[in-house]
Amino acid sequence: MEWIGLANYAVFMAIFICIYALLSLGLNIQWGFTGLFNAGIAGFFAVGAYTSAILTSPAVEGRLGGFDLPVPVGWIGAMLAAALIAWPIGKICLRFRSDYLAIATIGVAEIIRLVIKSEDWLTNSARGITDIPRPFGDLPYVYSQLAYLAIVAGVLLVAYLMVERQIAAPWGRMMRAIRDNEDAARAMGKDVPFRRLEAFIFGSALMGLGGALFAHFNRTITPEAIDPMIATFLVWIMLILGGSGNNRGAILGVAVVWIIWSMSEIVTDQLPHEYAVKAKYMRVFLIGLMLQLVLRFRPEGLLPEPQGTREEVSEKSK
Amino acid sequence: MNKFRTALAATLLGATAMAAPAQADVKIGLLGGVSGPIAAMAPAMIDSARLAVQQVNDNGGILDGEQLVAVVGDSACNPQNGTDAATKAVNIENVIGIVGPHCSGAVLAATNSVTIPAGVTVITPSGTSPEISGLNDNDTVFRTVPSDDFQGRALARTLLLRGTAKVAVAYLNNDYGKGLAEAFRSEFEGNGGEIAGFAAHEGEKASYRSNLAELASGGADTLVIFDYGDGSGLTMLRQALENGFFENFVGGDGMKSDAPIKELGAENLTTFLSSAPVGEKSDSLEMFSKAFADVGGDPSAIFATTSYDAAFMLALAIEKAGGDKAKVSAALREISNGEGEPIRAGEWAKAKELIAAGTAIDYKGAAGDHNFDDKGDVPGTYALFKVSGDGFEVVSEIQ
Repeated sequence: MEWIGLANYAVFMAIFICIYALLSLGLNIQWGFTGLFNAGIAGFFAVGAYTSAILTSPAVEGRLGGFDLPVPVGWIGAMLAAALIAWPIGKICLRFRSDYLAIATIGVAEIIRLVIKSEDWLTNSARGITDIPRPFGDLPYVYSQLAYLAIVAGVLLVAYLMVERQIAAPWGRMMRAIRDNEDAARAMGKDVPFRRLEAFIFGSALMGLGGALFAHFNRTITPEAIDPMIATFLVWIMLILGGSGNNRGAILGVAVVWIIWSMSEIVTDQLPHEYAVKAKYMRVFLIGLMLQLVLRFRPEGLLPEPQGTREEVSEKSK
Repeated sequence: MNKFRTALAATLLGATAMAAPAQADVKIGLLGGVSGPIAAMAPAMIDSARLAVQQVNDNGGILDGEQLVAVVGDSACNPQNGTDAATKAVNIENVIGIVGPHCSGAVLAATNSVTIPAGVTVITPSGTSPEISGLNDNDTVFRTVPSDDFQGRALARTLLLRGTAKVAVAYLNNDYGKGLAEAFRSEFEGNGGEIAGFAAHEGEKASYRSNLAELASGGADTLVIFDYGDGSGLTMLRQALENGFFENFVGGDGMKSDAPIKELGAENLTTFLSSAPVGEKSDSLEMFSKAFADVGGDPSAIFATTSYDAAFMLALAIEKAGGDKAKVSAALREISNGEGEPIRAGEWAKAKELIAAGTAIDYKGAAGDHNFDDKGDVPGTYALFKVSGDGFEVVSEIQ
């Protein structure tokens, strides 16, 4: 009995890790390989989640849709919508460099969040969208969790292999060349703005897919889920800690941060119960402390980028 | 993929090492937004729920004299942490029922993805979104706080009865503020009232003067605020008073907080009214207030009464169901359906005896009677409060 509970918990965390790993992979394409400081992950996450929710949920009065389409259509739609939104944003914002781009993308993500939170006809505003179908959601608890884990793990595996393939290809080398020395890349005849836009859209589509998987997992999506703290900065922490510029590092970072974040609660629960509420704050403090230590003593991340560009990456991440 | 296997293995090992000791106790989960946007409200809610647990243990324990243990989880007011906390409560702690989570978004996610599939009964003391009513939940999701729909409508009717026919409405742009405001508007306009301004605002801003000026331009002299009195609602109230935008102010239950009285002074709040749920003509509320004050709590804290009731009712239901997880939700309906020997806040020993004897009981809570309707909602009773001295005083009941 005990073991089933632990296994359920592990399966739940694995699902969460797979979903966040998609966000982290998307960010890795943008930041790790191309050097685009996208601080608006929550925006693309939200676009994906809401698009898929609107496409696949049953029809409801008072908001757009739902169109009751099959779930895979929703997921593809989520990627397309995130990519479509990323295109004009990238077209305009990517002319900014590093910190200016970060400011612009934070702004864009906030605009998306406020639109979602305010527009009744589109997203049912603050109340969110419910009744989103979940594949195999009708099976008993344990099996439906396992089935969903199989799906998200499969999606992540495909995404990981595709990104790895793309990065190992000449395209990936070109992106790193642009990241490390833009002028040199330009002198070699590369169309730098176009390539940066490509990476931005590619990464954003993955973030949209992550959002869609998240919405279907919870069968509901509310604006509370797209808070920048939990949907943008957490992903950044995961990527930096795992090692930007390395896809396995990106996924490992997600696993490490999420496991510590979640399991630290079990540790702090061992304190006497008078401290039950205070222990929760302790947990937030411990996580912050751990991140400080990692960033201080291993700024290149747990699994650094294989090639010799470590200093460059760590310098940018400061 | 190796990393996942490593991660899974690490999780399993780590969790085993830390797994809780003996399982003789009966556990319930208290999930709340300890960190996050409602961090200021959560401790009082959790403390009042723990008071219920303590009363159970002090008066003979649960089932065969076992201890009722409350496991606190941090749902942080968002779906990510809400599902995480619920998963831990259900799977690691093996709780038999859950009080919480506090925020509607977390309730929707945690129930849909964890507790409904796992068959665990959930009672939320503060999830007010109307979406919760519509959950396909096999009758396992309940709440002790009325849906925003009830309160917004009741307040609208009361204001019209009191002769206020033209108001401006300002609401915090989240599910709480919006739910109240929408229900208020439809009832107010449906009964012949006029809404001269209707606008959402974002929380935690330094100034709301432009919002207020915009609202005041409609010509109403009464402002209805659906916000939290210890947050942006206070800022709004202060700036409206300072600048003389409105003469009269009406708030929902979130505004019935001590913060405006402390910050602005009772003498400046003579035209401020607030609606809030009250216990129905019973001394149950007094019994709770006394008990909670004795352990150092503040009985008038927002949602303290509903949290207490949720925890106490869950304990009654577990006792009634004989500790069988699958029967808790049915038992929850039986212990509070308006028929049977009344049980008031804290009367655990009496309830335990009656349940053992097979007598029907009916819990009359601190926040109301809690006779659940078929969606697991409670209608709630409200009163209109005015500021008096250092606290609030009932002006009239509202229906």
